[in-house]
Amino acid sequence: MDNEINTRQRKIIHIDMDAFYASVEQRDNPEYRGKPIVVGGSPEGRGGVVATASYEARKFGVRSAMPSKRALQLCPDAIFVRPRFDVYKDVSRHIREIFSRYTDIIEPLSLDEAYLDVTTDKQHIGSAIEIAKLIKQAIWDELNLTASAGISVNKFVAKIASDMNKPNGLTFIGPSSIEEFMEKLPVEKFHGVGRVTADKMKRMGLHTGADLKRLTENDLKQHFGKPGAFYYRIVRGIDDREVQPHRETKSLGAEDTFPYDLTKTEEMNAELDKIGKIVCERLQRYGLKGRTITLKIKYGDFRQITRNQSLPFPTGDLNKILETAKQLLLSTDPEDKPVRLLGISLSNFNEVIQVSGHSQNPAQLSLFDDLP
Amino acid sequence: MKFIVSSSTLLKQLQQISGVINSNTVLPILEDFLFLIDKNELTVVATDLETVMKVKLEVEAKESGRICIPAKILMDSLKNLPDQPLTFHIDLNSYAVEITSDNGKYKVMGENPENFPKEPAADDTTSFSLTSTALVTAINKTLFAVSNDDLRPAMTGVFFEMTPNSLTFVATDAHRLVKYVRTGIECPKADSFIVPKKPLNLLKSALPDNDSEIKIAYSQNHFFVTHDGAQMICRLIDARFPDYKVVIPKDNPYRLTLVKGDFQNALKRVGVFANKSTNQVALNITGSELQLSAQDVDFSFEGNERMSCQYTGDDMQIAFNAKFLIEMLNAAEGDEITVELSTPTKAGILKPSEKEENEDLLMLVMPLMLNN
Repeated sequence: MDNEINTRQRKIIHIDMDAFYASVEQRDNPEYRGKPIVVGGSPEGRGGVVATASYEARKFGVRSAMPSKRALQLCPDAIFVRPRFDVYKDVSRHIREIFSRYTDIIEPLSLDEAYLDVTTDKQHIGSAIEIAKLIKQAIWDELNLTASAGISVNKFVAKIASDMNKPNGLTFIGPSSIEEFMEKLPVEKFHGVGRVTADKMKRMGLHTGADLKRLTENDLKQHFGKPGAFYYRIVRGIDDREVQPHRETKSLGAEDTFPYDLTKTEEMNAELDKIGKIVCERLQRYGLKGRTITLKIKYGDFRQITRNQSLPFPTGDLNKILETAKQLLLSTDPEDKPVRLLGISLSNFNEVIQVSGHSQNPAQLSLFDDLP
Repeated sequence: MKFIVSSSTLLKQLQQISGVINSNTVLPILEDFLFLIDKNELTVVATDLETVMKVKLEVEAKESGRICIPAKILMDSLKNLPDQPLTFHIDLNSYAVEITSDNGKYKVMGENPENFPKEPAADDTTSFSLTSTALVTAINKTLFAVSNDDLRPAMTGVFFEMTPNSLTFVATDAHRLVKYVRTGIECPKADSFIVPKKPLNLLKSALPDNDSEIKIAYSQNHFFVTHDGAQMICRLIDARFPDYKVVIPKDNPYRLTLVKGDFQNALKRVGVFANKSTNQVALNITGSELQLSAQDVDFSFEGNERMSCQYTGDDMQIAFNAKFLIEMLNAAEGDEITVELSTPTKAGILKPSEKEENEDLLMLVMPLMLNN
């Protein structure tokens, strides 16, 4: 058949909740409003890190993933709050429900962030900008929280767009302005370019998208390896990655950092018992069974390894998971090095079969009235 | 067991039936061809459990026997061999297959033929015959309108409806409907059944588009098509086809006559600018002028064209999915198409302006609701 009229120009929205955990805490605890809030681990003791900082705390330079101790040094007045993940999950579920009013193609990246493909939206609104406004309004009306939205024709640009006018922003980057926009973008803003790569680029005199654009695909591959090809396309505004609705359930697990490094296999097995229980509870909560079991080990020197084993069929059974995890642990000569952290995760879940089919376009009239 | 066969003849025959094989099937034996040797005749069978395809060809053989041979590796090897006689040596105890060509020797492990699924028995069937081209034409004119919605199984196939001297083929996805009547076929009695999409697709490419005779037989649950030694058997869809006759408007008063090719090209050009979720193209008909327009507000896309037409009726504006119209125009013979309309929310009827002998094609399409 003729495909000419199907050349797909997509409409992608990236929604990012503004300082999500901190905003929820400020919403639920009026006394926190207008104050620097840090949600995360306690600054006393080791290993506590910042999960989210409120905008008030960010003014002092507090950032996510920073050790809590450092956050306290930067902002001595910060109020440290323990995260309440159950609450955030409920809120997140509500947000996803709002998304699902407009599309089923939702790719959650975490509790507070998601891509939506609204090329064909359920309510036949047709305009992605309008949908983004409606979503932001619904999040405000129903949850009293703000979100920022980025709208474009692919995931990469949509994500960058959502970050441009935070908080409570809405940014549209249309097809005609993408190239110009990418040329001006500083390299560290390229999603996927970490600190190390960004430094390397700058040492090479590459500061913006325009600089990157001067290099050939081969140059980029030579200097930056496999991601080079991705940068080459991205800087030209090309990103064909689909919004993947089922990414949410790719893996599920739990891990724990111990107060002191473990040296005995028995101790490690005892910790695995505890972690395994948490994993099983989570699997049950989401109604999932996984086929691949992955064991993560971080040693005292912060070096980290993972080992995995796939079973012939998916399981959610605690004994099976523990048996496999302990075998994987044994295969690593566990008493060789002190162990700082252990984690178990499951992946390779039963595929959720998507029911696709008849048009969801309400403007399309049907021949048979009695059919749904 | 041993037989000699022409490599090109074998490949040609296997290509007729290999389409039925699913690449990732649960039962590994379904990735095999079943070879049956009886005197100097080789029958090859392939199946996906729903559909069975069989071909027969002449070979040189002394003994009879059966073996399952993996389909993909066999096809891949045949595709790369120049035309020549091949000798197959089969060890019926170990199921080892050795193929000898002028170029060398190839070995592959077969499987026990006893494990290959048995084909459904042709008991209690009703049968009649028609020309191969009649069936191929009917499939080409209807298959595109079949629904992919598994929640409405009745619509996922083509409805065959017989009267003593005609055979009617109907397909619908609830938004459009195609009815193709072929007269001059002697059917034994008034009866009907639904044939699934996949086997019809396979038949379309396996049957020749000529006047050679094919035999159709059907039982309560199965459909059999036999042509010149080759046979296809499939399961019928066990569901009731919707009452299509009641949805065909009896008297659409307005008639729009267009040059088919011009209309189709205009739709393709204007459709490029349509919203991708609806493919909506609005038709504005005034006097002897047809105006086509499409837009996508997000991207500020807009397409407009005018063409001349013959029209009897009140001026009107009606919108359709351009993709639907283009597919329907493809199915119509002749240079001119007649569109019969009544109101912007009722079904439009498309017919070729000139009727072919022994054929009658009628296509229905529901409009898209215009929001102004």
